[in-house]
Amino acid sequence: MKFFKRMQELDRRWIYMIIALAIIIPLVIPFDSDNLTTPPTENLYQMIDSFAGREDRAILMSFAHDASTMPELFPMEVAILRHCFERNIKVFTFSNSALGAPIIDYAINTVKDEYPHIESGVHYCNFGFKPNLFAMVIGMGDNIATTMNVDAEGRKVETLPIMRGITNYTEMNLVVEFSGSVAGGTWIVYARPKFGLNVAVGVTAVMAADQYPYLQSGQLIGMLSGLKGAAEYEKMVDIFAKNNQSFSREKLNDPSVREMIRITTQQVASFSPDEFAKFLDKYPQHQGLLEQYKVDRDGKVEINWTQIPPEHAEQLGFFAMDELQRQANHIKYAFKTARVGMNAQSVAHIVMILFIVVGNLGYFAQKLSEKK
Amino acid sequence: MKKTIPMMVVMIGGLVWLFWVFSPHYLMQEDFLNKFFIPWSWAMIPPATILGIVSLSMMHNAKIRRRAHKWQYSFFFFAGFITITLAGFFGGTQKGGLYMWMFENMQMPMSATMFALLAFYMASAAYKAFRARSPEATVLLLAAIIVMLAQVPIGTRISRFLPNISQWILDVPNLASKRGIMLGVGLGSIATSLKILLGIERSYLGGGD
Repeated sequence: MKFFKRMQELDRRWIYMIIALAIIIPLVIPFDSDNLTTPPTENLYQMIDSFAGREDRAILMSFAHDASTMPELFPMEVAILRHCFERNIKVFTFSNSALGAPIIDYAINTVKDEYPHIESGVHYCNFGFKPNLFAMVIGMGDNIATTMNVDAEGRKVETLPIMRGITNYTEMNLVVEFSGSVAGGTWIVYARPKFGLNVAVGVTAVMAADQYPYLQSGQLIGMLSGLKGAAEYEKMVDIFAKNNQSFSREKLNDPSVREMIRITTQQVASFSPDEFAKFLDKYPQHQGLLEQYKVDRDGKVEINWTQIPPEHAEQLGFFAMDELQRQANHIKYAFKTARVGMNAQSVAHIVMILFIVVGNLGYFAQKLSEKK
Repeated sequence: MKKTIPMMVVMIGGLVWLFWVFSPHYLMQEDFLNKFFIPWSWAMIPPATILGIVSLSMMHNAKIRRRAHKWQYSFFFFAGFITITLAGFFGGTQKGGLYMWMFENMQMPMSATMFALLAFYMASAAYKAFRARSPEATVLLLAAIIVMLAQVPIGTRISRFLPNISQWILDVPNLASKRGIMLGVGLGSIATSLKILLGIERSYLGGGD
């Protein structure tokens, strides 16, 4: 009984230390895990993916949060931007909060580093900070270019190539709002009934329960809930968008996709002889260099991209190195942060549950001894 | 007069918006909204911003002059405000400038750190206060454990049924209670709005009669 009493009086600092270790260790030592996808995330993914390659369709991302909620919301934003860039989906970004504007730049820069062919004003357009959300929401229902007037770089929106085929919500038919508190309110109340705009949200885990009534009524077509929602989206981008494929439930449930979603470093790019020949044809000037690192194994051609020294990697260039990493199913850190975070969250949740159980055991043991 | 005119402004303003919501007439949708309200609401933003800056500066200035409680922190307001404003004005807000550098290396980690402290307080509260003292608390505790486990990959390895049970908790009991609260809040808001529009509720005018 003394043990339980002492446990009840455990100093808070021990609890803080255990939680810190439970979070830090899985972040430092990554391990592969699988995040099962949920219908709200799948629905949003499919809606965005249905706009792939269409000149007359676009999505709008509304950054309605500040830096404090970035650990949960930023991976969602990166995953959706990546989805759009992979699948050639036009994307607009804006924030009605001055604190959200730098987050847009940071998110775009994070993804754009990996997609050098993506151009501002052509594939995406950042409207930047625009105050007065109500006026924006209503105005864009009439005409996006006249409402936004200029983008974050000061260019007239109506002159940008991205605006070809895009006038109002009939074309820019989906808004995804990211918020650390109540999300999607203005869009649901004004833009959805008046203009038929599809609305989705990305919220922190603590706010997710509040959104369920809107999901059930169909006012929200999808939702990303906390880091888990971001991890689910990252996973779908790696399985489908990265391979330029549409969503398929059969594929999602197939055990073979596990190879595509490993978050540990994947080193070996494995080609069939035909695939390797095609790969060499793309980079004829680097054939000698690539042949130098290839290994023939069980009828396959393998290249360990981590063994290519930086000077040779630079010589091969971004696109060849990127293709090698894709063939190896290697996922860059910026595109797996939510899944790395979910590992830490796994351990933290288990530790918290243990805390609850031990705390309750101590409580009942103490009560029992008091009765005696 | 001191109360009648403000009351009239509120009543007319409220009724105009009511008409805007329910009437598809050109006068409301185009003339009122697009030609009157939206340009004026934009025009109001710069003066409102200046008012906010002046008010905040005056408050911190007064705090420093009076040596009020924790007055030293007001210097941080002026330092942060002036530095980031100048960085934005002269260096631009794009990547490569001082503004973005300060955002990435100062504001972002500091804000995220404050938010992350929540995990520590939650763990401590879970250990010290989350007790199955009553049947209701026990239900809450069990629901919390199931949802927490189902949220993470380890939970789905423990049992493949956990995600379904968790989703049911969110879809049925959680949804029912949330909808009940929202309906209550909604009906309450409508009742209060009507009372204000009809001049029954006047406490927002301040003072007694």
